[in-house]
Amino acid sequence: MEAVFAARAVTKFYDMGEVRVHALRGVDIELYSGEMMVLLGPSGSGKSTLLNILGGLDRASGGSVLYRGFDITAAKDRELTQYRRRHVGFVFQFYNLIPSLTALENVAAVTEIAENPMKPAEALELVGLADRMHHFPSQLSGGQQQRVAIARAIAKRPSVLLCDEPTGALDSETGIVVLEAIDKVNRELGAATAVITHNADIAGMADRVIHMSNGGVSHVELNANRRNPRELHW
Amino acid sequence: MLRALDRKLFRDLWAVRGQVIAISCVLAGGIATYVMSASTLESLQQTQSRMYREFRFPELFAGLKQAPLSVATRVAAVPGIAAVEARVVAPANIELAGYGQPVSGQVVGLPLGAGRFNLLHLHAGRMPEPGRDKEALVSDGFAKAHQLQPGFELAVTINGRKQRLVVVGVASSPEFTYQLAPGSIVPDFKTYCILWMNAAPLEGSFNMTGAFNQLAASLERGARVEDAVQAVDAILRTYGGLGAHGRKDQISHRFLAEEFKQLEMMATLFPAIFLSVAGFLLNVVVGRLMATQRGQIATLKAFGYTTGAIVWHFVKFTAVIVTIGTLLGIAGGAWMGSGMSRLYMDVYRFPYLEYSIGGGVVAMSFAVSLAAAGVGTLFSVLKSAAESPAVAMQPANPGKYRRSFLEMPWFSQPSRMIVRNLERRPVKSLLSIGGVAMSTAILILGGFWGDAVDYMVFAQLRRAQLDDLTVTFFTPVSTRGLHSLRSLPGVTYAEPTRSVAARFRFAQRTYRTALQGMEPEGQLRRLLDAKLGRVELPPEGILLTDHLATMLGVKPGDTVTVELLEGSRAVRQVAVAGVVSEYIGVTAYMRRDALNRFLREGDVATGAYLAVDPPAMPELYQRLKRVPAVAGVAARAQALKSFYETLAAQMLTFAFFNTLLASTIAIGVVYNTVRISLSERGRELASLRVLGYTRGEVSYILLGELTVLVFLAIPVGLVMGHGLAYFMAMSAQTELFRIPFVVRPSTYAMAALVVALATAGSAFLVGRKINHLDLVEVLKARE
Ligand SMILES: Nc1ncnc2c1ncn2[C@@H]1O[C@H](COP(=O)(O)OP(=O)(O)O)[C@@H](O)[C@H]1O
Ligand SMILES: [Mg+2]
Repeated sequence: MEAVFAARAVTKFYDMGEVRVHALRGVDIELYSGEMMVLLGPSGSGKSTLLNILGGLDRASGGSVLYRGFDITAAKDRELTQYRRRHVGFVFQFYNLIPSLTALENVAAVTEIAENPMKPAEALELVGLADRMHHFPSQLSGGQQQRVAIARAIAKRPSVLLCDEPTGALDSETGIVVLEAIDKVNRELGAATAVITHNADIAGMADRVIHMSNGGVSHVELNANRRNPRELHW
Repeated sequence: MLRALDRKLFRDLWAVRGQVIAISCVLAGGIATYVMSASTLESLQQTQSRMYREFRFPELFAGLKQAPLSVATRVAAVPGIAAVEARVVAPANIELAGYGQPVSGQVVGLPLGAGRFNLLHLHAGRMPEPGRDKEALVSDGFAKAHQLQPGFELAVTINGRKQRLVVVGVASSPEFTYQLAPGSIVPDFKTYCILWMNAAPLEGSFNMTGAFNQLAASLERGARVEDAVQAVDAILRTYGGLGAHGRKDQISHRFLAEEFKQLEMMATLFPAIFLSVAGFLLNVVVGRLMATQRGQIATLKAFGYTTGAIVWHFVKFTAVIVTIGTLLGIAGGAWMGSGMSRLYMDVYRFPYLEYSIGGGVVAMSFAVSLAAAGVGTLFSVLKSAAESPAVAMQPANPGKYRRSFLEMPWFSQPSRMIVRNLERRPVKSLLSIGGVAMSTAILILGGFWGDAVDYMVFAQLRRAQLDDLTVTFFTPVSTRGLHSLRSLPGVTYAEPTRSVAARFRFAQRTYRTALQGMEPEGQLRRLLDAKLGRVELPPEGILLTDHLATMLGVKPGDTVTVELLEGSRAVRQVAVAGVVSEYIGVTAYMRRDALNRFLREGDVATGAYLAVDPPAMPELYQRLKRVPAVAGVAARAQALKSFYETLAAQMLTFAFFNTLLASTIAIGVVYNTVRISLSERGRELASLRVLGYTRGEVSYILLGELTVLVFLAIPVGLVMGHGLAYFMAMSAQTELFRIPFVVRPSTYAMAALVVALATAGSAFLVGRKINHLDLVEVLKARE
């Protein structure tokens, strides 16, 4: 299988005056094409830091991250913007929708700057929100907002979909609906997907689970049969 | 308990320091204009009343042709009149070694011993000694302009007789605080001068021994000026009385009164604009602060802080800004005020001017800025502080938006965001537009003064008054005498004129001014309408300066009563044939032949306008001085030059401050608007950056909103500026001068350009902040 990402000895530290906080202490991982990966670990273990580096939002202090052979740790700011624009779809814990745009327009905001996007309505259908296209974020529930965020992330047909605690702000039932949406787009679009969670029950939906603790990968677990999110409960 | 909160206060202030500075500056601009105008006004008024007391400024004034001194005793006996002083004042031509231009002036006779009225303030030297006929004092403006020291000699021609006088001192007097040569526009201290000498030699030179031609009086407590004027006029009528008047018509007093009115307006209009903008900005910034701190306020209350303590906390936040702005404003106002007072001292010859800022002005400054801040902030502070903590703890919902009727189907999402954001806060958008429009308007106002003055100079000196020299005679001269003027070297053309003092009456209103007899097809003086077109003199009937017509309430076709105050003293009903547009003084015009018939005189003139070959000018001056009939010579080119010099300096200062103040408002409003949008929407913009939007694309959303606001504001500002300039022009309409309402297109363009530049500058400052949006940080926490 082709590796979309290959991260080698990635470190990240924050200098806080006298002390240096090590968020990542040398991480080696791969993300394969079409794969569903879950990053599992307690709060503060470095999951978000790693995801942000993979997504070109943040820079590593050391090591290298190759995206299809392109070293994003050495990329310029402008190149990172283009990289995010073309290849990466993000989903965040707090949705981060644009409040002044409707669901459809939020998706369009991304498709307008993408190269070969799907139609915004199509993306919303994919997440089961065809009937809510013209609602503003303030008129949607949290779960619906998160599904709009997923539609927005996948509408450009990204090669990678990065989700940071997508269910963190949702109750379990709504969370499952959101995870189903992620699962569906991963299967149908084949985007390599990484989902962050600190909830071990969610790990069942992954092909591969990366356990993180204290800024490093503690072990990797392969799931022989990936479960449908509907079968999960917590 | 509040110690920690106070630390929070200063950190909060520091976090929004750019806005604190911007608001303080706008506030300071308002306070500075207030302090400048109010303190200057107060200082001038205090100086005036102190000077009037100290130097005994009279309450009644009368001029006449000539009367024996016994008449003054009769005037003194008039009921209501407390004391009288009679004196001789003579026009004079003055020659100054090494100065080629004609200098005219007045020589005032000094009473023996201590005078009753108009005491002199000696700036240098001493008073003329009794019995010394050749000693004189000169006015301080003239002395300064020519750097004259006591000991200097002047050749003074009085009544055609030239004599040498020695300057023994430099003086000023309250009656001559404003020294305007007859027919000129602004004081010119180089070519006009007041001289004082002992009465006896002056009376001798002027053939007035034992007689007088001016009278000053004080009134008894409770006496009415109008009654005294009537009684004095009745006595002086047979002696060629020119009409008595109170202080209100004394030229120096009148100019000062006008000046006070202007300062009063400046002390209210401008501060009102600035303070309302500052109040709005505070409202926006504090409102935003309350929104971001909603959770914090709830937490503080949850821990037991009272609503009062929270309100007090934010009141202190506002108070810090108000204090900074007010102190800055007072300091700036003091600086500008002392500069303005110096400017006044250059034009008005006060013996002294004590510039000071009264406690009242300082207290008022604090009161009005606190009021502006209170109105701007109190509501949102009270509302947030009173909110139940349980409600406030919940995360804020995403802002409620709706589709705008303004957006088009082809709009990109960023463009939609711009339109919807503007529409979601219509009041805020409108106030921002209002603020930027105000600054545009103020800029136009600054340019308007320059345009109006240029236009006045053009109209007056290039269209209406085309003579090179104006000659006035002591007594009416037969026009045959003009031939001798025409034959002088360099004179290419001469045009006679006849001037006589007259009283005009229509219904209940009367007005005293000159009735000027003009040649029908005059080449050197032209009467013009408001569009600079020529107005022809009717064979009979009069033309009035437009402002005189307004004051009398007459329109063309009406008939006014004209009472001549000299010569025949005839009274007649005369038809008003039309009005002429003039900016300085008010005059009535008649054909000279008709006026002479009215006066029952032959073909005479009291002056002449001359066209002169420039190279022959110096020689002509010399020759004119030797013509006995000539009382005074004034040069147009000289007047033009000095007018430009005086005004140019003032205009430049004014324009500079004006641009500074207007830009303060523009930058203050624009910077705050963008800064707030950035803070409200930083998260949203960062999200877009995460999604792959470039910096340019994100800046477009933020600055596009600003651009729309400014584009809407500029036309509104142009209209407002037009109105403001019109208002200023109208409120400056006085008998002494009027300001034409003229705004050049370039002034509008300039105002728009300055606002656009101020916007670009603020956008640049905030734009840098967009570049530094921290993407990771912004995504971490819910606001
Ligand atoms: N901006 C920052 N400054 C200092 N320390 C940080 C910063 N961001 C993250 N950290 C630290 O890095 C570590 C990893 O954080 P993070 O990647 O957010 O963990 P996770 O997402 O697994 O909960 C934590 O100890 C956190 O405190
Ligand atoms: Mg995290």
